[in-house]
Amino acid sequence: MICRPALSRGSQLALRRQGAAKLAQRGFAAAASPKPSYEPTTIAGVKVASRDDNGPTTRLAVVAKAGTRYEPLPGLTVGLEEFAFKNTQKRTALRITREVELLGGQLNAFHTREALVLQANFLRDDLPYFAELLAEVLSQTRYTTHEYHEEVLNVIHQKQAKLDAAAIALDAAHSVAFHTGLGAPLYPTPSTPIASYLNENSVAAFAEAAFTKGNIAVVADGASDAGLFKWIEPFFKSVAAQSSSSLSNAASKYYGGEQRIAKPGRNSIVLAFPGAALGSNQPETAVLVGLLGGESAIKWSPGFSLLSNAAAAAPGATAKATNFAYSDAGLLTIQINGSAAAVRKAAEESVKALKSVVEGGVSQENLVKAIAKAKFNLLSGSEVTGTGLVHAGTNLIHGGKPLQVAETIKALEGVNADKLKAAAKTLLEGNASVAAVGDLHVLPFAEELGLKKRIPTQQYSATSHLVKLAKMTFAWKAAGITYNRYLAVAARAVRRSLKEDKRLAAERRGQQELRFAKWSNGKQGEMRNLADANAQAAVESAATGGVA
Amino acid sequence: MPVAPSLYSAAVKRPWLMSLFKPLAGWYSNAAGYRQMGLKADDLILEENETVLQALSRLPPKENYDRIYRIRRATQLSLQHKILPKHEWTKPEEDVPYLTPILEQLQAELKEKDALDTLTVLKNH
Repeated sequence: MICRPALSRGSQLALRRQGAAKLAQRGFAAAASPKPSYEPTTIAGVKVASRDDNGPTTRLAVVAKAGTRYEPLPGLTVGLEEFAFKNTQKRTALRITREVELLGGQLNAFHTREALVLQANFLRDDLPYFAELLAEVLSQTRYTTHEYHEEVLNVIHQKQAKLDAAAIALDAAHSVAFHTGLGAPLYPTPSTPIASYLNENSVAAFAEAAFTKGNIAVVADGASDAGLFKWIEPFFKSVAAQSSSSLSNAASKYYGGEQRIAKPGRNSIVLAFPGAALGSNQPETAVLVGLLGGESAIKWSPGFSLLSNAAAAAPGATAKATNFAYSDAGLLTIQINGSAAAVRKAAEESVKALKSVVEGGVSQENLVKAIAKAKFNLLSGSEVTGTGLVHAGTNLIHGGKPLQVAETIKALEGVNADKLKAAAKTLLEGNASVAAVGDLHVLPFAEELGLKKRIPTQQYSATSHLVKLAKMTFAWKAAGITYNRYLAVAARAVRRSLKEDKRLAAERRGQQELRFAKWSNGKQGEMRNLADANAQAAVESAATGGVA
Repeated sequence: MPVAPSLYSAAVKRPWLMSLFKPLAGWYSNAAGYRQMGLKADDLILEENETVLQALSRLPPKENYDRIYRIRRATQLSLQHKILPKHEWTKPEEDVPYLTPILEQLQAELKEKDALDTLTVLKNH
């Protein structure tokens, strides 16, 4: 007789194998019968994205349109982030911490350039508590003076001290690429004067403008839809529907340029180019990022990607390509970190690798690998877990659609070597943004790397004219004559170059009857005409080689 | 206990008690003599205490400066065995508690911390 447990175990195994077979079959078929990673809904005026795989834990995040891009004054996003989960009207920060500890939850607040994220990870059953907490933090934080001085400022100073060359270089690259908005630093450096802008009142005013129903999105991973419907409505009622002050919302514009910052310690170079925005149809940029890559997926080998091979040629440096996609702009960056000499070498090798794509194209094998990598990057980024949580939220607050998986995959597969070549060519010939942080004696200039800085055509003549003027301004100094003499010479030259009739009129204007006399020992010297004396002095100075 | 125990809240609830005690309290405050030295009642709170030091650090800069000025003036007067001219005495309406609210807030924080440190978790299953 077959005992029951064995039977049930066998059947379980069989079931599991069946499931596994089904999974294996689906593998790529998932792309053929795709659905968006989340369904956007609106509950009581709040945009909600949720995905539930019936796991035991839940991640609930509020993504607010309060990233550094939207801060009206420098440092406010950082202040708002540090004020999260502090004293509210209902309970103190200490009580919030202890209660969350008792429930086994985790609270986290962080920001990107576009979004401020307040996240809570907890056990599935505790959804009501954390929904209430997040809504309370949004609408009822007190922004007290003593917390600002005793806690917020200390944390900001500590985080500022931790900023490394890589972060500063990435900020600098954004700054030269976008100037304002997206160009605002993700975290202000210790030397940024934020003290006059950042205080509890300015943070409270920013919170009032940013935390409104239209500016936030709730993203849930692992919470039941019924639970969300039930709890978001009563708790998020306290969040204001609209604010009297609105956020700055200027469209991003790409400028490009170069910035170099001296800093002891580690070295970093960021080479940045215009990239693909969120939801833009630029599959070749995604594939190019996959091809450039940088981080090897295989142990003990640099892998196929161009940047990891470039970094392998310069031991001590790491290179990585990323496309930072924002709602209305993108930045394709190559970040190189390490010791100064290695960074220099790796930067040269990286540009060489990019040039090799333009000149020689890519092999079919590498293209296939790059497309596969791009697909993985895209799909893992669009899942509503981990970093995808922020992605989904950012997409929602900017009114974007969830990723259309099938179409995007098809677009990625349609990228061929020629398109890739063309994309790389546009990058190299376009206006790059280059930031170098570290030992500037060693780190190369953009020009040395072979990256072009194209000056916009309509500004070209004006700029070159300015450059000449700038040189002319100090020519008299270089010639060693006084400013008065210089003016006299210049005026004479201008007058002499006029046409006959105009010249006569102008010279008549120049005629003057000013006389002067030098007094010495109490006696008046000879009275002389100033114009004659000037002319004489000019002749003398010409004879003595310009020193007058 | 930096803030002295007080029957104030009990008296406020009973108007007759209030009407009885208010003139008495006013007389006492004047008789205590600190107003004649230009001090406020909260200037007399002992400073050598963690909580009070914390409360003082939370005072607005102007308030803190004025407090130190009053105390130094009073010290000087004490050395000289003098009191201020009458028009410089602290007026009863100026004698407001500026430190006590912060102290009470701090004590509530400490009390809450203590309660949370010693709580017992009751499981409902």
